[in-house]
Amino acid sequence: MASPTRSSSPVPSLPPPRPKSPPQYPDLYGKRRELLKVQMLEREIGFLEEELKSLEGLQPASRRCKEVHDFLMANPDPLIPTNRKIRRSHRFWKWLCGKSCFNFSWICCCFSGCSLRLSMPSCCNCCPSMKCWFCRWPRCHWPRCSWPSCTWPSCTWPSCTWPSCTWPRCACLRCTCPHCTCIHCHCPHCHLPTCCCCYFCCCLEKPSCGQCCTLPSLSCPDCDPCSGCTCSCPKCTKVCHCSNCTKTCCSPCYLC
Amino acid sequence: MSVAELKERHIAATATVNALRERLKQKRTLLLDTDGSSSCYSHFAGYARSQGRTPVSFGPTDLVCCRILQGHTGKVYSLDWTPEKNRIVSASQDGRLIVWNALTSQKTHAIKLPCAWVMTCAFSPNGQSVACGGLDSVCSIFNLNSPVDKDGNLPVSRMLSGHKGYVSSCQYVPDEDTHLITSSGDQTCVLWDVTTGQRLSVFGGEFPSGHTADVLSVSINGSNSKMFVSGSCDATARLWDTRIASRAVRTFHGHEGDVNTVKFFPDGQRFGTGSGDGTCRLFDMRTGHQLQVYHQQHAAADGEVPHVTSIAFSISGRLLFAAYSNNDCYVWDTLVAKVVLNLRSLQNSHEGRITCLGLSADGSALCTGSWDKNLKIWAFGGDRREI
Repeated sequence: MASPTRSSSPVPSLPPPRPKSPPQYPDLYGKRRELLKVQMLEREIGFLEEELKSLEGLQPASRRCKEVHDFLMANPDPLIPTNRKIRRSHRFWKWLCGKSCFNFSWICCCFSGCSLRLSMPSCCNCCPSMKCWFCRWPRCHWPRCSWPSCTWPSCTWPSCTWPSCTWPRCACLRCTCPHCTCIHCHCPHCHLPTCCCCYFCCCLEKPSCGQCCTLPSLSCPDCDPCSGCTCSCPKCTKVCHCSNCTKTCCSPCYLC
Repeated sequence: MSVAELKERHIAATATVNALRERLKQKRTLLLDTDGSSSCYSHFAGYARSQGRTPVSFGPTDLVCCRILQGHTGKVYSLDWTPEKNRIVSASQDGRLIVWNALTSQKTHAIKLPCAWVMTCAFSPNGQSVACGGLDSVCSIFNLNSPVDKDGNLPVSRMLSGHKGYVSSCQYVPDEDTHLITSSGDQTCVLWDVTTGQRLSVFGGEFPSGHTADVLSVSINGSNSKMFVSGSCDATARLWDTRIASRAVRTFHGHEGDVNTVKFFPDGQRFGTGSGDGTCRLFDMRTGHQLQVYHQQHAAADGEVPHVTSIAFSISGRLLFAAYSNNDCYVWDTLVAKVVLNLRSLQNSHEGRITCLGLSADGSALCTGSWDKNLKIWAFGGDRREI
């Protein structure tokens, strides 16, 4: 094989390749965010200086305490024990109301089915207010009630749903999460989720860590395959206590 | 200006803000002149002691559980009374709202919610509608007089959408059935027009400034419905004027943990707060003074401080009911800052944590809702001493 012949003109040598660094683009987004933060802080400084100024002529706390004190002493309270005079004429009603309170002036007890044919007084001294919380009368649905033989709470008035009420009639089972007492409902008509609904249970004092969790997400290790996700939020310190959870994620079980 | 210069300005501004806050704190401490002591807990109580006031005394059967409202199948998270009649709406983890006749214990409505994760509920002033909100970030309105759908469910009459986080609390503006205020995990509160579903005002958020963490509770001033207070995970309470959404009227510092609950005092000039730091506090709305701290050691085997979940004032303001995460429910005498009763020690007390409290409109009864799935009504069952 004949060797290649050399050309007579010299070949210029190319400079070695020098890859360039990428151009420095201005970090507009970062600068804008920083500027906004500074503006907010400067605004806060303005508010704080205004507040400091407003303290100059401010009354001391003792004046406010006196106002509160006078308000508290001036107003009665139905929940607080007090001394009270009763008139002689009310003592009969007080005796009568020893067991039941006839404190509803709009309900007349003169119905023929009622064994006690009495009209009721407009007030009753054994009750703290006009709406007596200790009156058993309204629980018996007159006129079907056969007072005084009605022995509430076992009243059998048809519409009475206490205490035999089985509403909402779902066959609910307990959640398997060892820390919560939520409901794991299988009822096909029930809108309760079929997974652990402990969104507010003891493993979580607040609904979410606002920094890293996006709500709501209904997946739960009980029903979704665990993807072993890892929460990257450095501020989140939660730990999932659900016994079925195998995630290393720090998000609570209903969120991952 | 370069990013580096901006960062330096940021550091300097943060230092200025911290210094100003410290100066404010010191100036306020100097204005707390009630009892001359250096204790930060005893201002109002110190004044009351100087007037010779003694604590309220409860006998063992004075406050009695007179109703047990059973029906929820999950933890109860929220309750509200009607302003006029004795009806209660409650919200539960079972995904339902129940409307109760408190006197008869009957359920008048059981509303299955589109989103089961409800956190708050409220009655409208006229008692015809209820509102609720939760993790779906929406506040739903139900008209109790609407006909039910083919599945027997009450339909949603309006959905208030716009929050970017969970709805933690809602309250109708007193005497205004068309306006409602919500608080949210998106760090804002919103005033809504219920008839149109529109947001009328947004309080807080990045611009304008407001809370810097989740807002957990709101309370509207019953004496001046243009003012409301919010409590947040940023450990502050803020006072707002609904006519000025651009900034809070005042920020109240003092708590060392999340402010879980806020409630106006009956005189409309003060408000109470309950916090994750285990204390309740009474603040003066106009001056910003922290008038009193209500704090007592709880018996805890693990030494953990139980946090306050909910508070309510009695109608006179003399009693402050405070529920804690360790199942206690203290009754504070606000005048002398003493615990005068613990509902947990009474017969028929709840078997779990109390999450919500509310007084009836006439102040004659307290309703409590609990993780034990029940609501209970407490009233004064003692004998008034006769002369």
